[in-house]
Amino acid sequence: MLTTTNKKVRELRIEASILKHTKKSPIDTVERGNDMQFPIRWDRTWFHPFQDLLESDTGWAGWEHFQLAIEAAETQIVPQFDTLLSLQQIQGFNPLPHQVDVVRRVIGEMRGRAILADEVGLGKTIEAGLILKEYMIRGLIKNALILVPSSLVLQWTRELNQKFQIPAMAQKKAWMWDQYPIIVASMDTAKREPHRDHILSKNYDILIVDEAHKLKNRRTKNWQFINEIKKKYCLLLTATPVQNELNELYNLVTLLKPGQLGQQSSFQSEYVAGKRKAKNEEQLREEIGRVLIRNRRRDQQLNLTKRIVQTIPIELSHAERTLYEAVTDFVRNQYSQAADLKSMLALLVLQKEVCSSRDAVFHTLFKLFQKGEKHKHHLSPEVAHLVELLRQVTYSSKVQKAVELIQNIPDKVIIFTEYRATQDMLIRALAAANIYAIPYRGGFNRNKKDWMMELFQKRAQVMVATEAGGEGINLQFCHHIINYDMPWNPMRVEQRIGRVHRLGQKNDVYIYNFATKNTIEEHIIWLLHEKIQLFETVIGELEVILENLEKEESVEQRLMQIILEAKDQEQVRERLGEWGDKFTQKKKEIVEHNIVQEEIVYGSAKS
Amino acid sequence: MDQQKVRSFTERYLQAYQCHLIESAPTHIKTQLSIKADKDLLNRPFYWMYVERMNLPPQPAQFCFIFDPEHRPAELRGEYLFFGSPRFSQMLNSAQKHGRFVRLYQQPLSKARNDFSSKPYTPWLGINFKVSYICDQKKDRICYLGMNLRTGNIVEPFYPKINSFDWTSKLPPKRHLIEPRFHFAESVDELEYYLKEQIEQEDPTWAYEANKRLELELKQLDHYYPELGKRTEEQEKERSQRRREIIWQYQPRVEVQVINAGIFYMEADPFLE
Repeated sequence: MLTTTNKKVRELRIEASILKHTKKSPIDTVERGNDMQFPIRWDRTWFHPFQDLLESDTGWAGWEHFQLAIEAAETQIVPQFDTLLSLQQIQGFNPLPHQVDVVRRVIGEMRGRAILADEVGLGKTIEAGLILKEYMIRGLIKNALILVPSSLVLQWTRELNQKFQIPAMAQKKAWMWDQYPIIVASMDTAKREPHRDHILSKNYDILIVDEAHKLKNRRTKNWQFINEIKKKYCLLLTATPVQNELNELYNLVTLLKPGQLGQQSSFQSEYVAGKRKAKNEEQLREEIGRVLIRNRRRDQQLNLTKRIVQTIPIELSHAERTLYEAVTDFVRNQYSQAADLKSMLALLVLQKEVCSSRDAVFHTLFKLFQKGEKHKHHLSPEVAHLVELLRQVTYSSKVQKAVELIQNIPDKVIIFTEYRATQDMLIRALAAANIYAIPYRGGFNRNKKDWMMELFQKRAQVMVATEAGGEGINLQFCHHIINYDMPWNPMRVEQRIGRVHRLGQKNDVYIYNFATKNTIEEHIIWLLHEKIQLFETVIGELEVILENLEKEESVEQRLMQIILEAKDQEQVRERLGEWGDKFTQKKKEIVEHNIVQEEIVYGSAKS
Repeated sequence: MDQQKVRSFTERYLQAYQCHLIESAPTHIKTQLSIKADKDLLNRPFYWMYVERMNLPPQPAQFCFIFDPEHRPAELRGEYLFFGSPRFSQMLNSAQKHGRFVRLYQQPLSKARNDFSSKPYTPWLGINFKVSYICDQKKDRICYLGMNLRTGNIVEPFYPKINSFDWTSKLPPKRHLIEPRFHFAESVDELEYYLKEQIEQEDPTWAYEANKRLELELKQLDHYYPELGKRTEEQEKERSQRRREIIWQYQPRVEVQVINAGIFYMEADPFLE
């Protein structure tokens, strides 16, 4: 029996305890010793709902539901600090060992702030996606901001959704900043108002920046913007953390962890000996190694398969030859008359198309003169002549070769062409030969692209893709490429091959280059294949070399100029050869420069 | 969690939430979802808002879960369900949302015929806590506690022990309830106190290490910026933002959440306390 006073005391205690539970998550602090303390936060939001049920005695859950709830909670708990849970929760691909290793190190050693500096093609996106997934599973990331070049926004969004089941949204409107927790946006949009204000008002659990070498200069708007964003974890992705000077790396590191490389002044005096020279290299490398991970192809036994390149010579028929000569003459004439940029581009296209297909030429001629000659009732005699020659071409030697070749390949084949008209023609011709071929181009919407990809993988033997379709598709299940016509820009060629020859490709890749004999195409293939050796190996520095080589104009324009201004075939060969030598020289310089940089910053390759 | 477990959880979830099975094959399950399951799994709040506002007859959707996409029939339309897929996460969350609180009575263990006297049932409070240890990393554990509301005795683990009993939501015949001696709020206090003591007894190395990292980071930051008084306003602002970020990132803390809880009436002393 309780005495009256005891009863009173007890009632008071209960009241106090109810009161305590009423407050939202009050904080108890556990103290231990002098240097050890951490708070315990109790979530007590459940208390009142439970008490209400007790009073009303209705609305209870059943025993089955109770059991399921616990089981669900049990599957979601994180049993240890340092195991990777994300690996069990992805489907459809297996990350490579070096990628898993990066995830482990970034989370375990770098504590979620790191520069991912793998060489191109080793999967920085996959690493970032895995890190994001892992933190999300652990409940350490609820919102994320991913800033990428605008051309990659959709690709990132798709990869995060499809590969990692991360519900990322591509940012399109300003209201989306508040609506979606995981947002992919273009850097250029994000740094402008009103977006900038939205972003700076938030705390992001993680900030991921792709192509982060654009942040190498701390006086730029980009750098300052990134610096202002409030974030817990941060990943900077770049294949080239140092392009020109060591300060670039210092600026990147400062975004992640100010002071990691000391103050600016002490960094200069301790580590920098010259623009591209370092001192105390060992110490510098050690410091950099704490925030930067770089995997290199040669360190990872990545076993990219071989590329086997074959030039397929094609003899033009008499009618085709006549058309080719006529178009070439026409282009030369027009070029000497009006050398403005716009018409030059049209001529360039025309010259390339005549090596691709009759249909392609027709489309361009038609468009060209729809504009220039619409006030006239009749075509000019030159054009009328070309049209007449077009009519004479009744079949295509190239198409015939393509059909023949494919009939002898018992595997899947991707044909690349630059022209829609050629694409249509090829599809028709393959269908006539009972070969199941499907088209793929940049203009398709996403669903159609996915559908075509699936058809190609599961049913069709051939995919005929135009240039625009070349980006963002991965076709490791196919290992025969036909370059039906050849882009003049080496980057474009590499992008084509890169769709197929990439991590995950298990077979040697066969590349067939169609070269019509005694045409410009033959010269270009000679340049790309023999002169600069574009096909057999991956030129990692390609982009930088080309940027260095052609500051103002595009590679295509440059080559066009060479061709048009040459007196004869011999001179074409000679001048293209000179351009090739310049390329090779540049390549050598850049490779050497890179080796020096690599040595300083990351040490020599592991042996 | 392998596909077998994903499937068996799904089957039990569908059954518990009154989803009618239309077709069950080794590769997939077709089901007519209940309203509750539709709302939790299919992300169509606008439809449900519309139906409820307009007072229309609700039409929950049919859905096909695929467990083995490799071997499914070619024409089958449905969604691949696996551990890590958003739909399965939604199912896990739905299960936790609707299975929070119970009041249950133990099914009598034996059905002795000539037992005419009424037997007493003792009330217990069971709470399943999720304890999370957080710094720049995180781990959790579940703590299954139960308290006898007559004696104040605390049992751990509680839920795994009572999991093998049969439970019903109605008081079985020839059973009567004993009044609890502890008030609900009081017993919650007791269990929290018990758990708090337990956390305090645990190896604190993780928090110690996290604090060490925190201090190192803060120190490095101090070295980077000029000393007090010599900083520009901008540097001052930047510095304090960085400090907040570092604390946010590293500071060790423990968070305790309640997964679910219940009042359980049981025969005198099933665990021989």
